[in-house]
Amino acid sequence: MADLTVSLGRLQLKNPVMPASGCFGYGEEYASFYDLSVLGAIVVKGTTVNPWPGNAPQRIVETPAGMLNAIGLQNPGVPAAKIKIRRLARYNSPVIVNVSGHSVEEYKEVISVLEEESTVAAYEINVSCPNVKAGGMAFGTKPEIVFKLVTALRPLTEKTLIVKLSPNVTDITEIATAAESAGADALSLINTLVGMAIDIEKRRPVLANITGGLSGPAVKPVALRMVWQVTDVVNIPVIGMGGISSAEDAIEFMLAGATAVAIGAANFVNPTVCPEVVAGIEAYLHKYNFSSVREIVGLAKRADNT
Amino acid sequence: MAKKMLMEILKHEKVSSNVFRLTLGGKLTAQPGQFVQVAVSKTYDPFLKRPFSVHDCSADTLTLLYRVLGRGTGLLAGKRTGEQLEVVGPLGTAFPVETADRIILVAGGIGSAPLFYLLKSLRAAGKKVTFLYGARSKEELILREQYQMLADEYGEATEDGSCGHHGLVTELVADALDKGRTVLYACGPEAMLRAVAELAKANNCSCYVSLEAHMACGVGACLGCVVANAQGEYVRVCVDGPVFPAREVF
Repeated sequence: MADLTVSLGRLQLKNPVMPASGCFGYGEEYASFYDLSVLGAIVVKGTTVNPWPGNAPQRIVETPAGMLNAIGLQNPGVPAAKIKIRRLARYNSPVIVNVSGHSVEEYKEVISVLEEESTVAAYEINVSCPNVKAGGMAFGTKPEIVFKLVTALRPLTEKTLIVKLSPNVTDITEIATAAESAGADALSLINTLVGMAIDIEKRRPVLANITGGLSGPAVKPVALRMVWQVTDVVNIPVIGMGGISSAEDAIEFMLAGATAVAIGAANFVNPTVCPEVVAGIEAYLHKYNFSSVREIVGLAKRADNT
Repeated sequence: MAKKMLMEILKHEKVSSNVFRLTLGGKLTAQPGQFVQVAVSKTYDPFLKRPFSVHDCSADTLTLLYRVLGRGTGLLAGKRTGEQLEVVGPLGTAFPVETADRIILVAGGIGSAPLFYLLKSLRAAGKKVTFLYGARSKEELILREQYQMLADEYGEATEDGSCGHHGLVTELVADALDKGRTVLYACGPEAMLRAVAELAKANNCSCYVSLEAHMACGVGACLGCVVANAQGEYVRVCVDGPVFPAREVF
């Protein structure tokens, strides 16, 4: 059996597969379908200091091979989220908490509340939510702001600090480099792509928020390209995501340079997609006689790869 | 407990110009009011599964009643007997059984779908049930005979007067209510649900409504299907509902 373990900073994962934040609630929603311990990590919903109500409905709309969402980071706030997160201690998978806020101070406060929680193994700093007016993507489109935020958060924790990047920028490698030089242990990419849909009968945007984030198989080629570009310029591991719906998709991201992968909207369609991807990666490694999943990371870039 | 399974199409009948009854084989036990998510395509387009309320259910069959509205239901309508469909369920809340002197089910158009299973279950439990059915026209009182046959009392209303009371079904509800001693279960257009909820409130009766929403995951994870509750907080139609006490959401 091939070795599936990978590392993100000091965090070791038993396999490279995790759900993407915002697509997995606080874990319990999928616990009736399989034992969550099969996951490399459990990534929970974007969490803020105070409860956020989220955006008015209609919040989602299906689009060709994907969907738009404008949830707006609805979450119960970190004190209530903490209780939900503690329930995940029963699973043998590290928990990664996605962190968001309106200000640097709010990001700092979420981390300080969770710092003593032994269940929390890592933070994923969300600088890329396209659906909130303040915070989220407002932090993630300028390298100097990302640098400032990550610099402020880095001293607060020795846990793995992951920065989740937005694809809605001119050059994602600049943002990635800024996060790395500020001390990020790993990067997640990509968050959703800003898009919209219009109802031609009502002659109005479908989403109450007007715009939303596009996810699903439709975005996969864009995400894959960005993972390729970012892993060319940073030395920290990248968690690749964006439209992954099968083991084959996940393997593409790893060949492009991703150390781990996250699965988002595909969970909505196939609630058992995560364990299926773990099994599929294992079968691929076996088929081609790789002894470790780490051997395929970035393999598509190597000139000597025959 | 919700699970993902393949179910075989045992029967697929057209019951009106654009409504189909789909009977699936497999062990998926749902309570009245719950729903399932059905894959209408094996490709990524359309991407999402489609939520359908359970129209009827036995130990080894599950029946859905759906109207062809868009591309997803259009594709579903083309599926033939013997084909397998991926189904996730049972999902969501059920209609709670309450003791009352009088039980009234109020259906609006295709909203009748989950109320057939509820009517059947209540009758099997020996309850007396009044079924009130409204639609725009007689054509849209889909499968009206099956409700008429099962219910102890049956009333119908059409907006165009082509069948039963000429007007809204809520006018029949007002006449059938016993103050404080009636429980109402309703599914249909939002305006109808609001009107039924108001009547229930005014007459101090319990009332449960089944809501519809654009939905992605169906299991409470994505927060895409929320509606504002009476306190203005967003609740999920897929797991906090689809059946809500009317006072919680109106």
